[in-house]
Amino acid sequence: MSVTDFDKEWQLGELLDAAALARMGPPLAELLEGDAAILDRDGSPLWGTLIPGARREALTLEIEPAGYLVSSSASPRHLQAAARLFMGLLRAEARYRAASALHLEAVTQDFETLKLEHARLLASEARYRKLSEELEERVAVQVTTLKQRQEQLYQAEKLASVGQLAAGMAHEINNPLGFVRSNLGTLRLYLDKFAALRPQLADAQTAWQTLDLDYVLEDSPDLLRDCDGGLERIARIVADLKSFSHVDRPEKALADLNTCLKHAVSVIEASLPPGVELITDLNPLPCQQCNPGHLNQVFYSLIRNGIQAIQDSGHPGKVTIRSCATPEDIRILLHDNGIGMTAEQLARAFEPFYTTRAVGNGTGLGLSTARNIILAHGGQITLKSLPGQGTTVYLRFPHGHD
Amino acid sequence: MPEESPGSLTFKLVYYGPAQSGKTTNLLRLHDQLSPELKGEVMTMETKDDRTLFFDLLPLGFRAPSGLLIKLRLFTVPGQVAHDGTRKAVLSRADGVVFVADSARNQEVNNGEAFQSMADNCHRVGLDFEHLPLVVQFNKRDLPNAVPETEIRDRWANAPWPLCFACALQGKAVTETFETLLRLLYRHHALPLALATTHGISEEAFVTGLLGRSS
Ligand SMILES: Nc1nc2c(ncn2[C@@H]2O[C@H](COP(=O)(O)OP(=O)(O)OP(=O)(O)O)[C@@H](O)[C@H]2O)c(=O)[nH]1
Ligand SMILES: [Mg+2]
Repeated sequence: MSVTDFDKEWQLGELLDAAALARMGPPLAELLEGDAAILDRDGSPLWGTLIPGARREALTLEIEPAGYLVSSSASPRHLQAAARLFMGLLRAEARYRAASALHLEAVTQDFETLKLEHARLLASEARYRKLSEELEERVAVQVTTLKQRQEQLYQAEKLASVGQLAAGMAHEINNPLGFVRSNLGTLRLYLDKFAALRPQLADAQTAWQTLDLDYVLEDSPDLLRDCDGGLERIARIVADLKSFSHVDRPEKALADLNTCLKHAVSVIEASLPPGVELITDLNPLPCQQCNPGHLNQVFYSLIRNGIQAIQDSGHPGKVTIRSCATPEDIRILLHDNGIGMTAEQLARAFEPFYTTRAVGNGTGLGLSTARNIILAHGGQITLKSLPGQGTTVYLRFPHGHD
Repeated sequence: MPEESPGSLTFKLVYYGPAQSGKTTNLLRLHDQLSPELKGEVMTMETKDDRTLFFDLLPLGFRAPSGLLIKLRLFTVPGQVAHDGTRKAVLSRADGVVFVADSARNQEVNNGEAFQSMADNCHRVGLDFEHLPLVVQFNKRDLPNAVPETEIRDRWANAPWPLCFACALQGKAVTETFETLLRLLYRHHALPLALATTHGISEEAFVTGLLGRSS
């Protein structure tokens, strides 16, 4: 926007254009009783007829003549009076011009300030937008890191629980292995007796008795039956282990949660400590799309927690496992009448790394990982516990969750 | 830079300050007290309650021995906070400034804000504030709650600008303030404009030419 400086010094010709001069000239000439002319500051005529020898009166706006009023007919007194009147008019016009130019300049200044302000705002908005984008990026990175950590943690815990399971299995398998091995040793001794019999067959009756082969004949079927039983137990344990860990199945499958519970129970029952009883009350459930391997581990851990709580209480107790289907969802309840948790322990129970037990003694999955698995199945886990009374874990799964 | 046109040289001086500090009064008293060769009428633009709306203008001038016409145009800005855009426009192209502060104790904050706004506005309209001829006038010395002169001098001891203590209402130190600015103005411009060499105007001639012989 081009603006006229408000403080410029105006020329007469700028203040009054030809039309204004043509309007004011005739009445001026009339007042001056004859002729009149209006000259610019350099003496050039703007209006009227310049009669040689006419009187001129300066028209001063500030301190210098801005032009002249000229007349040959008027008396000096009249010419002066007319010039003063005309000057008043010119000054009023100059004031108006200056005021409007200043107004325009001020408005332009304000507008420039506004534009500057606006540009500053835009810049700061852009800065904030960039910042928020960066923030989002940073959050995304953090979330990814957290997920990775969680996954690592979960894998580590899984390994730990698998390791613990394997230790339990080894212990269980050792027992049948022990007596199968010892039986086979005994049978080898028995065979030695038969070998010793061969050279003495002439005196067979005496030898038979010396070698006590009646007893051998009697004991051998028992030993073999024992061995069969032991091998069967080993086979069952291995089968349980296989189906528990789902090493032979894809991750997602249609499964009955009762089957998962039964697997967990059967794995645990093999090493149930004295004074702890497992009671199951499993009601028919519809099949669920789920990851049975993961759920097995969750149930295993929760039952182990219950057993541990009973052992920690120093009293005999029982872990009750109940399942049922309602129209809304599938519900599983695990209750133990063990040591229970304080309000503080309860509040922190789902925190990763939180344990009330000595490091290394945690049983399988932590509650935080258990909860993550349940959440991944669209389910919910809640805890109720009172110190000295026991703990109840409530699980809910939506029907048919994928 | 003063405006040069053939045969004349025009300086623009601006009276700046907070609302009601006495800028217009300064100009009116100057009009009464000065008697230079050429002196125009004061053009005031006030609202009915005496507050300057656009500006006031007092034109003065004298002719140098060389025939050069030296013109001074003294402007006042409107002090009211709302008119900052106008203040900025009036301040543009200024060759020198009198900052009129109100001596009243309760006006100290207003003075400070106005001074800061003057510095900011100078930068915005492209004036070199560090080198601008500037006089600071503490007006209304007659007020009972005026901050004592020693206190003001202490506070401004490290500032480079001359201080004047005036009572514009009674016409006291109004001309003195103006003279102080004239001398700064001359020293700032004499050399580049060849005032002494080409036009034969000494600092004294410059000052007396504008104050008038009688003062
Ligand atoms: N007591 C006292 N009052 C003064 C003095 N100078 C001016 N005033 C009064 O202060 C009031 C404002 O004076 P102005 O000259 O209009 O002030 P201004 O700075 O032009 O005000 P704005 O145009 O509104 O910025 C008037 O009532 C003056 O009479 C002074 O030295 N002493
Ligand atoms: Mg004023």
